[in-house]
Amino acid sequence: MSVVPSNSGQRTGRLYWSVQAGRNVGVRGLFLVVLAFIVAYGFLFPGLFTMAGFAKFTQSWFPLALVAMAQALLMLTGGISLAIGATVSLGAVIAATTMVGPLGVAGGSALVAATGLGIGAITGFIVVKLRLPAIVVTLAGSFIIGGAALLILPRPGGAMPEWLSDLLAGNTPAAFLLLVVVVLLWKLYLATPLGLSLYAAGENPVGAYRSGVPVDAARIAAYALSGLLSTGAGLFVAAQTGSGDPVIGAAFTLNSIAAAVLGGIGFLGGQGTMRGALAGSLLLSLMISVMFFLGFTPVAQYVAQGLIIIGAVALPQFRKVQR
Amino acid sequence: MANTAPLLTARGVSKAFFGNPVLRDVSIALLPGRVHALLGENGAGKSTLINMLSGALRPDGGTIEVDGKAVSHMTPPEARQAGIAVVQQELSLTANLSIAENIGLGAYPRRFGLVDYAELASRAREACALVGLHEPLSTPVGELSLGRRQMVEIAKALYRKPRVLILDEPTSSLSATETRILTDLLERLRSEGTAILYISHRLNEVMALCQHVTVLKDGSVTSDQPLEGTDAAGLVRLMVGRDPGDLFPKWQPSPSTAAAVSVRGFSAGLMRDVDLDIRTGEVLGIGGLVGQGQEDLLLGLYGAIPAKAASAMVNGNQALPSGVPKANALGLAYVPADRKREGLHLIHPIITNLMLPAFARLPALKPRNRGNERELAHSLATQLGIKGDLGRAAQALSGGNQQKVALAKWMPHEPLVLLLNDPTRGVDVETKREIYIMLRQLAQAGKAVVLMSSDTPELVHLCDRVAVVREGRVAAMLEHGALSEEAIVAAAVAADKPKVAA
Repeated sequence: MSVVPSNSGQRTGRLYWSVQAGRNVGVRGLFLVVLAFIVAYGFLFPGLFTMAGFAKFTQSWFPLALVAMAQALLMLTGGISLAIGATVSLGAVIAATTMVGPLGVAGGSALVAATGLGIGAITGFIVVKLRLPAIVVTLAGSFIIGGAALLILPRPGGAMPEWLSDLLAGNTPAAFLLLVVVVLLWKLYLATPLGLSLYAAGENPVGAYRSGVPVDAARIAAYALSGLLSTGAGLFVAAQTGSGDPVIGAAFTLNSIAAAVLGGIGFLGGQGTMRGALAGSLLLSLMISVMFFLGFTPVAQYVAQGLIIIGAVALPQFRKVQR
Repeated sequence: MANTAPLLTARGVSKAFFGNPVLRDVSIALLPGRVHALLGENGAGKSTLINMLSGALRPDGGTIEVDGKAVSHMTPPEARQAGIAVVQQELSLTANLSIAENIGLGAYPRRFGLVDYAELASRAREACALVGLHEPLSTPVGELSLGRRQMVEIAKALYRKPRVLILDEPTSSLSATETRILTDLLERLRSEGTAILYISHRLNEVMALCQHVTVLKDGSVTSDQPLEGTDAAGLVRLMVGRDPGDLFPKWQPSPSTAAAVSVRGFSAGLMRDVDLDIRTGEVLGIGGLVGQGQEDLLLGLYGAIPAKAASAMVNGNQALPSGVPKANALGLAYVPADRKREGLHLIHPIITNLMLPAFARLPALKPRNRGNERELAHSLATQLGIKGDLGRAAQALSGGNQQKVALAKWMPHEPLVLLLNDPTRGVDVETKREIYIMLRQLAQAGKAVVLMSSDTPELVHLCDRVAVVREGRVAAMLEHGALSEEAIVAAAVAADKPKVAA
């Protein structure tokens, strides 16, 4: 093969940044909508821009952001999980039963993380290696995991160390900083060959396999990380409430799908970006808060939430038909 | 060339899918510095052979040898390490990743465990320069045209610095300019000692580029010889196993020429502003390169996708059918190309498949008359030569027989216009012959047969007229007298006059 002189001036990963910029194209509209909602929210509740208001808001958003990422990760591989809520609950009860015991915060956190990774890896193994539909496996998994949470803590109880609750859910921006760290770790993962292969494995598994991509490994790793994010969200929720509740995560399953879909993640695999899913979760969080301040009853909130999600999914379809 | 030991060899390999043998005792040896042509009709087993040579499939019997050493259980990453790269026919690209990320996929350069984007950029740029790709490397592949994606696919193979390069119909979606870049490139790689396996249906390319040819027919090697001293007609004879003319029924002029369908200014999907008349008693061919809008033409006429026309006449009706039921009522029937997904309900019995269009016409809540159904289905099966028990699932049938079922189910409705989308794709030669005879008979009986095909000889020998579609328009309408493979191909690719820079 002949050697073509390459531009030696391109040592820094200029390619990396232009690829990253290119990924914004599909989510610009979403970012604008999110911005509009933030302005509306700030108008309705000027306290948002104080430290306390900012802390409270980011704390209400944080667990939803984590489960949206967990769900988006699986949807990128062409899968989905109906067990996210149950996994969040399990994370919460494990945290609430171990952290004040002999294991301490470090041991409890490690146990929560290992449980999430383990559950995810097993689920992924079943889905990928046995070639079973993710929706069925995770539906069954939600019963098993939810059952396990109820076995550990049959009714709400347990306790979290007070200082941890104060740190994560007090008047500090800790939740926001944690989210920044999680996002940076995600960027790091996406810059590894295994992480980047996620897109190829989700969109065109046959082509990816023939290109030498470890498709199965990429998908199982995605399930494991998704489990880790879910139990992590559970730990945070336990810190927020100061105790463990074995069914506290239930709402997260559907909300995580809603956030991912709002964020432009497709159901067919390989479509969408994590920044979109995060923006989707922020939008959902803002919507819930704004409707609360506007005095919507909880029932009306649910109906409005559903209509907005349908609208968000239908909008690109309409545009496609128009063209 | 001093070193002429084969780099990659298949020795007596065989493979079967679901009990259907696809390859039987096939051997092939790829030598450095030689372009080796692999010829064969659709369904002869070429893609299966490639997949085994590149580790994507494992042979049932026989061995694959790299540098003379047998490798069992070769996986795609191992094949890549052995220097084997494949340009697949179906693209292996990911639309959401950039050109560079696609080129490096599965073989990213790393630094500290991360993808080394700077290194990736320089190596991808090198590969792109070889194939004349000048788009920014960060462009998502989803934004490229089919031809450019094919060039990315080729660059992806070159990025791996292959010793053995396998190309599966690389030119089927390329423009003439791009084809020329590719041929020059392959010529250069060959002189540098790369072993190249080249698969193409374009015999002139094969004649110009290749030194050796292996011909597959129905899963067996029928010929393995140097190309020197063989001409294109000889190659066709090797592929078909008989004179190409014998495959087709004798052509006779059509008996009547009443218009069955006539559209002016017709647009649907990719098709723009098309004028077309379809006459009864004729077989009208639709040809052209893959993906120029041919399928949209058929689907639009059939009411399956939105279509509009300045004026339209369909079997006496002064408008395009608004939907599939209306099209059926007007005497149109459509047989899709993808019979596994669109044409048949594979897990249901053959008889149910045969009766499906009839169900649509029955009153929704009237009890079925099973006796009548069975009788009708049996007469259809006899008429079209469908072999086997009609109670079995349709997936048990061979490709050819499945196609017959997809055709037969429309027959009780006496359709006036049959829209056929590549009806002989993946069908064995004998069944092809039967289908050809059937199509001519249908035309003789006064039906209008519209035959969209990717198989140029069948357009030449079977059709009364051929409309060649290019970039969403009918680029040429060739009458039977003017039909030849060259004429069709010329009309299909003529688009490549140098584009005026706007």
